[in-house]
Amino acid sequence: MVQQATPRETNERLAKRQAVSFGRLRKSIGRDAPLYLLALPGIAVLILFAYLPMSGLILVFKNYNFNDGIFGSPWAGFANFEFFFSSMEDAIRATRNTVMLNVLYMLTGTFFSVAIAIVLNEMRSKWFVKITQSVMFFPYFISWIIIGAILFSLLDYDKGILNQSLAALGLSQVDWYSSPWLFVVILVLANIWKSAGYGAIIYYAVLQGIDTSYYEAARIDGASRWQIIMRITLPMLIPSIILMSLLSIGGMLKGDLSMIMGVTFLNPLLLPTTDIIDVYVYRTAIRSGEFGFASAITLYQSVFGFILVLVANKMAGWYDKDSKLF
Amino acid sequence: MREVGSFMFGKKGWLGLLMTAVLLLGACSQGGGATTTGTGGSDANSTDASGNEASGELAQAKLKIVLYGDESNRMKQLAKTEFYNRIKQEINAEVEFQFLPWTEYAGGKTDLMLSTGEDFATYTDANYMVKSVAKGLYADLTPYTEASADLSQTVDEASFKAFQLGGKQYAIPVGNKPNSAEFYSVLVRQDLLEEVGMSEVTSLAQLEEYYDKAHAAHPELIGYAGVDARRMLLYDYTDKNLYWQNDFVALDESAQDDRIINWFESEEFKKYAGLMRGWYEKGIIPKYAATNVPQLQSDWNSGKAMFWAGTAARPFEGAATISQAVPDAKLVNYFLGEGRPKISRGTYSTAFFVSSAAKDPERYVMFFNLLQKDQELYDLFAYGIEGTDYTLDENDRITRLTTDSLIPDWLLMNKNFIRFDNSVPDDFIAEYKAWDDDAVISKGAGFNFDNTPVKNEETKLNGVLTEYLAPIGSGFVDYETGYPKALERLKAAGIDKYIVEYQKQFSAWHVEQNQ
Amino acid sequence: MPQAENKGLLIFFYVCIAVFSVICFAPFVLAVSGSLSTESRIAAEGYSFWPRGFSLETYQFLFGSKLEQIVRAYAVSLTVTVLGTVSAVLVTTAYAYVVSVKSFRFRNVFAFFAYFTMLFSGGTLPWYLLSTKYYHLDDKLIGLIVPYLLSVFLMFLMTNYFRSIPHEIVESAQIDGAGHLRIFIRIMLPLGRVGVVTISLFYALQYWNDFYLPLMLVTDERLYTIQYLMYTMMANIQFLASGNAAQVGGAIIAPPLETAKMAMTCLTVLPIAILYPFLQGFFVKGIVVGSVKG
Repeated sequence: MVQQATPRETNERLAKRQAVSFGRLRKSIGRDAPLYLLALPGIAVLILFAYLPMSGLILVFKNYNFNDGIFGSPWAGFANFEFFFSSMEDAIRATRNTVMLNVLYMLTGTFFSVAIAIVLNEMRSKWFVKITQSVMFFPYFISWIIIGAILFSLLDYDKGILNQSLAALGLSQVDWYSSPWLFVVILVLANIWKSAGYGAIIYYAVLQGIDTSYYEAARIDGASRWQIIMRITLPMLIPSIILMSLLSIGGMLKGDLSMIMGVTFLNPLLLPTTDIIDVYVYRTAIRSGEFGFASAITLYQSVFGFILVLVANKMAGWYDKDSKLF
Repeated sequence: MREVGSFMFGKKGWLGLLMTAVLLLGACSQGGGATTTGTGGSDANSTDASGNEASGELAQAKLKIVLYGDESNRMKQLAKTEFYNRIKQEINAEVEFQFLPWTEYAGGKTDLMLSTGEDFATYTDANYMVKSVAKGLYADLTPYTEASADLSQTVDEASFKAFQLGGKQYAIPVGNKPNSAEFYSVLVRQDLLEEVGMSEVTSLAQLEEYYDKAHAAHPELIGYAGVDARRMLLYDYTDKNLYWQNDFVALDESAQDDRIINWFESEEFKKYAGLMRGWYEKGIIPKYAATNVPQLQSDWNSGKAMFWAGTAARPFEGAATISQAVPDAKLVNYFLGEGRPKISRGTYSTAFFVSSAAKDPERYVMFFNLLQKDQELYDLFAYGIEGTDYTLDENDRITRLTTDSLIPDWLLMNKNFIRFDNSVPDDFIAEYKAWDDDAVISKGAGFNFDNTPVKNEETKLNGVLTEYLAPIGSGFVDYETGYPKALERLKAAGIDKYIVEYQKQFSAWHVEQNQ
Repeated sequence: MPQAENKGLLIFFYVCIAVFSVICFAPFVLAVSGSLSTESRIAAEGYSFWPRGFSLETYQFLFGSKLEQIVRAYAVSLTVTVLGTVSAVLVTTAYAYVVSVKSFRFRNVFAFFAYFTMLFSGGTLPWYLLSTKYYHLDDKLIGLIVPYLLSVFLMFLMTNYFRSIPHEIVESAQIDGAGHLRIFIRIMLPLGRVGVVTISLFYALQYWNDFYLPLMLVTDERLYTIQYLMYTMMANIQFLASGNAAQVGGAIIAPPLETAKMAMTCLTVLPIAILYPFLQGFFVKGIVVGSVKG
């Protein structure tokens, strides 16, 4: 088996393999024709609005000017990336901040969304569930600018409600807006508040699809509420949790500029932890109108995220083949 | 093995797709401006006539003017009736006004419209102009400056210079308002000042005295509603008459040479930072200024601040806002020293450019000309129809009958045509009109720096500015503590290279100017 | 039967949810009261749970002169939302079904094809160029619908919901000779209706709240959506309040900045507050899987 194959044999084998794949393709098309039909509109949308525009990515490697157009503009190689990576210290800090915050958001967000979904699932009172679920969804629609303003009235050193309460209790006041690491807690809490309800809807819907006979059986066997949650409800959610996590891992290097802007107003004292990649690009490149630089860094974020997803997807496959994204 | 097969099929497919896409996009974008011909579906208006005056008769043209902000109902009406008819009558052009939200100014949708070859005109500032011309997005208007002959009567020559690059005119300035020494004066709440027994503020010491007294009487008020006072405090930290080209570079207007000053590495900056630190520690600048700059604006608007940075027009401009909160508010400009001439960058409000894909740039210039041609047209565009939208009394004071804005005041503002309402006292008007009398045009006015050789450095310098230098400059961080690190970062970002390049370009331009 | 333990835990759950709900609801109360207050008092004194200086001036300012435009904008938004949601749900569930069919050889290719677009984007310029110059979507109702017809995120969510449908049902249908189309329409959609309702909700919200498509593609004001209208108004108010605009010839009323922000929040959340409890009726607990047992 380990002999050297002659070129002719290799070619033949290749041709055969291609014939087989093509044959399989034709067969697949025959049997699965309706599937291709069903996917067609989606594919059209993706091609028109995602893939065709994606060709604009070459602009990242060019110095675009209007008269030469996309095709004729001169190549710039990696020049658009230079500003970011030549300040290694800033680049590393920005990347670290982005990843750190995103990991925290993901862990806490998932935990609370799942917890809320499970808890709501346990409740009997329909109207309670309806009302609270709607209410918990509201924060998702409040813009970060408003949230920032509200937080300010809570956290301001002199007039903030929190500090005034602390003073009333005789405790020392905290300068939130000067403490970058303390502020990470604020950001995480704000993120939970804003998105927990949204995620809970997704998980709650999954729970609605669970056959109640499972619960019945467990109850008959004498399982306590807690045991049921841990042994039945939660495991039912794991595939969804994996899916949601996989979907968000791709955005590991991307951040929410409007969140940081709205909540911290880009306060320089907080930058050591809040200077995520998007913020850094905003206050350096975009401030000078260098949009080409900004696009280059977006590509960096995408590529990195892509690699992470490939790895994570593979890992998900080890756990359960059906959990893979692709 | 099976998966490899399916992947290979997929990969080939995509590669082919992407290649086609690239080719497609490339082919169509070739020769940029020409792509608009024949694309009837797009919203660009194309002219079908050449628009030349060979026969003495102007051929019909279609123009699209983009403005920013909210289109009021009255503007909508007038745009279709009086404006439309009058413009047609004057220059035989059919004008369509399109409004975009302010967020799209100098970037955003405006940039997209330019980059995809739409035929339109709108206004811009010098910074955006430089960037756009570098990308070839603006039309060269030099051949058409005759078409703006009337406008040149009421708009200064220096304003035209400000929008020239390499000797070519890329935008036509509009507006003529006294704006020298912008932010160099202190805009004081005269009512508060008088309440604490003072009558004027002519020095820093007096300003701080005002703060102390007012603070004692009203502890809830803040002092300064801003974070940048480098112009106001000029007299107190330098003998030079500094005028800033941008955040990093300043000029000494009292010196005749062409030397630029590296602001952040100067002694002046150190002294200034010291003053601001004092203000911050004293509470003149509130503690939350580091975090919540919009709050400062809110504070001023609601009457909670003692003074602000002043401009020629601020005593009556925006008075509506503050008088809602404090009906007795009176605003007066004071300089904290004297003996230095007021510097102006040019009296224009803004400048209109034409997209390079425009069919008939000359007609656009003729339209701009109408905006500043004479009092009658000015009244029409700014205020509307006499009798319906406004009335004039015997002193030529205007009373507006509608709150709808048309073509905005601030855009057209020309001291030769502007009308005041009855809330503005005569002495304000006299002072306003005479504000620029002893002013001097900056020796750097009209210079536009081309940052291509130092794009990276400038970008990184922005980062150093926003993180390390701004807090020092506003007093949040003490100079001694924060400066060493800031300086180190400044050097690492390439400040030296940036300054050298800036000086080089400035000197070359300066020589040209003085020939 | 350990009833006591169950009850304690349950009470704990109720309390936690109630507390969290209050925290979620509180800012909304601030927004409502803020929108009904006078601007000068809010700017001076900050927000509060009770309107400061009750007045309808903010809503008057926002809606007063533009009533007709607003009514029309609501109509446009409604049309776009309804048409968009229905079409998007069809496109998405169809694609999601394809990806969920285990026996489909190329399902991972389709999945990857979709997912790749979540990560990589060519930027606004090429999208804008194509949409206006080539697809001619500018100033057309369909332009406000088509670009969002497939949200990859929601598509994957849908595959997840499809996955939870017991495979035996599908198999027995296949034995009966049903093809993919029939399985999709007769089995997957009905049994996956919880998922369908969920993604419908999210699509509806996306279409309703979007101002990006009108900003990019619409210049004809008859096609403005309500969100875009509010976005424009907000941007304008912010500009006016920043002191950059000189209003010389006549006192223009001071624009209500803070209260306008509040009013906009209310107007955004209001439709959800109305829509959501109504949709919840569709979240039926548990599925009767009678056919499998039979």
